Amino acid sequence: MRIERRLRQPRWLIVAVPAGSLVFAFFAAGLVLYATGHNALSSYRQIVDAAFLNSGAIGQTLTQATPLAFTGLAAAAAFRMRLFNIGAEGQLFMGAITADAAGLYLGGHGWPTALVIFAMVIAGCAGGAAWALIPGALRAFFKTNEIITSLMLNYVAAYVLTYLVFNTESYWRQTKGFNASVFPTSKTLPNDALWPSAMIHARGGIALPLGAGIAVLVAFLLWFLFTRTRFGFEAQVLGDSPRAAQYAGMRTRRKILAVMGISGAVAGLGGASQVGDFAHMLDADPNGLQKQYYGYTGIVVAALARYNPLAVVVVAFLIGALQNAGNTLQGADFPSGLVGVMQGIILFSALGGELLVRYRVRVGRTMPATEAA
Amino acid sequence: MRKRKHALAALVVAIAATGVVLAAGVGAGSAKSNSAFKVAWIYVGPHNDGGWSQAHDAGRLYVQKMLGSKVQTTYKENIAVGAQLQQTVASLVNQGYKMIFGTSYGYFSKAFAAKYPSVLFEQATGTDVAKNLSEYFGAAEDSVFLSGMAAGAASKTGDIGYVVAFPIPEVIRHANAFTLGAQVTHPGAKVHLVWTNNWFDPAKEKKAAQSLVAAGADVLGQNVDSPATGQFAESKGIPWVGYDSDSSKFAPKSWQTASVYNWGPYYLSRVKAAMNGTWKSGFYYGSMKSGFTGIAAFGPSVSAATKAKIAAKMKAIENGSFYEFTGPLYDQSGKLRVKSGVRMQVLKGGTNSLYGMSWLVKGVVGSPKG
Repeated sequence: MRIERRLRQPRWLIVAVPAGSLVFAFFAAGLVLYATGHNALSSYRQIVDAAFLNSGAIGQTLTQATPLAFTGLAAAAAFRMRLFNIGAEGQLFMGAITADAAGLYLGGHGWPTALVIFAMVIAGCAGGAAWALIPGALRAFFKTNEIITSLMLNYVAAYVLTYLVFNTESYWRQTKGFNASVFPTSKTLPNDALWPSAMIHARGGIALPLGAGIAVLVAFLLWFLFTRTRFGFEAQVLGDSPRAAQYAGMRTRRKILAVMGISGAVAGLGGASQVGDFAHMLDADPNGLQKQYYGYTGIVVAALARYNPLAVVVVAFLIGALQNAGNTLQGADFPSGLVGVMQGIILFSALGGELLVRYRVRVGRTMPATEAA
Repeated sequence: MRKRKHALAALVVAIAATGVVLAAGVGAGSAKSNSAFKVAWIYVGPHNDGGWSQAHDAGRLYVQKMLGSKVQTTYKENIAVGAQLQQTVASLVNQGYKMIFGTSYGYFSKAFAAKYPSVLFEQATGTDVAKNLSEYFGAAEDSVFLSGMAAGAASKTGDIGYVVAFPIPEVIRHANAFTLGAQVTHPGAKVHLVWTNNWFDPAKEKKAAQSLVAAGADVLGQNVDSPATGQFAESKGIPWVGYDSDSSKFAPKSWQTASVYNWGPYYLSRVKAAMNGTWKSGFYYGSMKSGFTGIAAFGPSVSAATKAKIAAKMKAIENGSFYEFTGPLYDQSGKLRVKSGVRMQVLKGGTNSLYGMSWLVKGVVGSPKG
């Protein structure tokens, strides 16, 4: 048996392989369920119900999918240029911190809601971009490996986040009232700083958060930037062949900084959406936002979407659905570890299937000479 | 060719087998009785963490055992505050759960409870009481004080390490009670703190224990949820005082005792009240006398003299003749915080109340800010 590169990738494979992977995953997970004494079909039924069909299910899925769309887009933007920004996690935290500060300050000073939200968006982008530019600048000027630096900065960002509310009386921390003395909490955003959501009157009401809309808009912008502009072309060339790009006179440093900045800004926007759309405060609890690992899951989302910004939105929705369903499934008769195993099998199959799009498996000893190239 | 055929055959069999399994399972599990009262618990860590969440799950099982088929209980574990909690509650309500116990602070607020007016919420360790939101906890400071006495007696040098979660009044009062207890059996004992900023993080807890021992602690205690500290203590042959549950099996030789919670009877009374319509929201603070808190069975290395001292203090606490948080109490800098003869109260008294304590007593080494 051998694996060889496909010379051409047939179009039908791009649809058939993910579909096949999913079917395989369901069978493989079904075997695990059977071995552990669970009913596979009713488990799958519960997953679909919890993810899409129950009253309010789509809204819950969107809550999980929105941050994944942002971190997925952040990863896709950087990875397209082979710039491995693993730091969407920390950039999201930083965006949340700056956006929350903007919301608290401006919302409390009587600014109109639209302006406050705009300021929060800008602040979130700036916070995320600034954090991403640290590994970006190190890479551009000193050729430091951005994988390591961006990853390490995630931990720093998480500690900063916890520190602001748990270990100091900062601007973000609620210090008034008895409750504030029982457990450290953040200030709640004033009403003028809350992001609105659009209601779709179906299935018990689906709330479309503003952040989800922004994510779709950002996806289109990134798609346009990377496929329809000179900037995108140059980024692509730099990713594929840095030498060739240099000989062609493309500015490598500038491009690294720009792409890292964009990537960080998108992740930071995800942080702003966390604050404005969902938490309405800075979620600094180590058991809260930091336990969701949106930044890391975003990398999986981007990979499954083949770094295509438009596909990222779709994949984020599906992974969000999977995560949402996991919470519903686990319980006294269904261990949370098993939920993790099922999610793992599904993701692993989906990613593993990718191999079959680019390579093919040949079984047998001889190989036609024409394809040997 | 042979191999290929075998592989294909195996695949076909596997697919067919799964298909049969799937088909056989249709419709089986969904026929649960609808008349049972559905109650759910939400845990911050795994249900079998060997500490806090496990103690709550023992309470859940007690309810299930006592009420049998009249109730249907479940739990959700490792639930993070924020988006994940909101999702979890929404899906529980969707599945018909009428009563939800949240066993960590920050899960439910008044505004959150108001979103589900027909569901009864109960939260451990908090103070938010609303029409459908109760708060409950117990006087663990009394039992932690007793477990501190065991730590003090086990220490030769008087340097005791204490692995602690968050710099909040709950943990601060336990650290204080632990220290006051240790000083009874070992006058002048010092309790060194290392904060983990998490309730359940075995890796961090182990590191904290390591650093405490490296700094000279010869006994370890904890106010975190996992038995990682104990496992490390066992590997070093150092006495260990646990917390929340009897975790002696994780460190049979090092085990001294632990302050433990018995949540079951409270849960049973609340679920019963909810079922017959007499449930009222409130703030419950269980005592050692009522059996809500207590200490676990002693380990093999605890001396008879220590056991007798602890038993005597326990009796004194239960009959009200002794209370560890009675003045004079001095803080770390030696400043008098609670005047002689004054007893600290649960909610009243600002930073001099059990729920507002923000300072550490004399003998604790570490910052109350984390």
